[in-house]
Amino acid sequence: MRGWGIQRFNVYIPSSLEDALKVLSEKGSEVTLLAGGTDVLVLARTNIVKLKLVLDLWPLRKELSYVKKEDGYIKIGALTTIDEIYNSFLTKDRRYYGFHDLYWNFGTPYLRNLATAGGNIGTAHPLSDLSILLLTLGAEVKLTSISGERWVPLEKMFLDIRRLNRRPDEMITEIRFRETPENSSTALMKLDRRKGHAMGYIVTAAYMALEGDTIANVRIAFDSTGKPYPGRAYKTEEFLRGKELSLETIREAYNVLEKEMTRISDYRAPAEYRVDLSKVLMKRCLLLIKSRIEGGV
Amino acid sequence: MAGSETVIQEYPDIAIRLNVNGRDYVVTVKPYERLIDVLRYKLGFTSVKEGCGRGECGACVVLMDGKLVPSCLVLAIRANGSKIVTLEGLAPEGKLHAIQKAFLDTLGVQCGFCFPGVIIATKYLLDRVSDPSDEDIKNYLEGQLCRCGSYLRFIKAVKLAVKYIKEGKIYFDLKEVKG
Repeated sequence: MRGWGIQRFNVYIPSSLEDALKVLSEKGSEVTLLAGGTDVLVLARTNIVKLKLVLDLWPLRKELSYVKKEDGYIKIGALTTIDEIYNSFLTKDRRYYGFHDLYWNFGTPYLRNLATAGGNIGTAHPLSDLSILLLTLGAEVKLTSISGERWVPLEKMFLDIRRLNRRPDEMITEIRFRETPENSSTALMKLDRRKGHAMGYIVTAAYMALEGDTIANVRIAFDSTGKPYPGRAYKTEEFLRGKELSLETIREAYNVLEKEMTRISDYRAPAEYRVDLSKVLMKRCLLLIKSRIEGGV
Repeated sequence: MAGSETVIQEYPDIAIRLNVNGRDYVVTVKPYERLIDVLRYKLGFTSVKEGCGRGECGACVVLMDGKLVPSCLVLAIRANGSKIVTLEGLAPEGKLHAIQKAFLDTLGVQCGFCFPGVIIATKYLLDRVSDPSDEDIKNYLEGQLCRCGSYLRFIKAVKLAVKYIKEGKIYFDLKEVKG
């Protein structure tokens, strides 16, 4: 049958960012933003969302697809695909090896060619790998509307599952984070029954800066710490900061993490198992980062 | 015009230009049609299979401007002006590509539903990595689901294809193919 199962909707193809913002300001509430389409079109295919007017952002890629260093910031355009991030200088820099992990853990090769950085945040789903990694880098998100722009810290972007701190007339145009010091690195880990196409029972990312053996700074993010969207484990970070990095310290941090985190039980994994996995992956991430700072991979 | 409300027509017919397997086509599509609908039902490239329709199985993958994409998650209008390669375009008329020959030789194909996607993904892999290791093959073919479970044969087949290509045998006559 022709067009089996896909619903009818209109598509607006903007000629420039300005044009897209104009349509958003006029028809904001009925517009669905379509970046890569690896989430929206799946939801439409299964009739979970009803699309009315779709604003196809793909033509804006000539303006909004880049990874660059500028004024001490790393800036990623909202429509940069995961594949383009992998092929940028980020994965060649020891400090950002987390993006290497991200690429190989992210969906499948064909999804990495479509899925975009902005879309990953805009989806506001717990298992948004890139958002989890960007949380550990203290990223900020630029929301642009026809009347101006504002920067929002990534941890303030999520309100609920699939609900974003975004006015209907705004769109994500850029993500930036400060360049991290030399003696730091990042890592991302995911655990599932299989490696390919894995959602992950849990996803963990971490950023750590070491001074000798002392943890100068650390940020740890999980796919969920209690709320149904990616979040950071602030108390565990606070506990670890300033301490010497050793297995004993990490084991002590387990107790803090356990108190701070609430997990859900579902058909994929029970909550106790998820908490246990979170502890183990946190440990592995921190040890991996240590070896990365010391020159390993 | 500045200040005027943007008027959007309901489901207009849109003419798009596609280059599929080296031939140019102009097709009229609706805004909600996907690339897979156009390739299968309007242009007749039936090697593009709709397995799940949600980017999970990899049966519908095509090369769009050299990038591997699932055609069920690409709106047809987004493919406007791009170059698309499907399984039919891998080898000239009456010939088989080394990858296809390798999959036949190693019996890598069982029921055959997934394998147009697998072969296109293999082509994408060999475009990027000329001599892939087992790990590379697993990484690049991880999204191609096969209900018959031929995954181990995929690895053998890709290695054989690499051997053929290294020997300079890229296209095979149909007569050279057994069965």
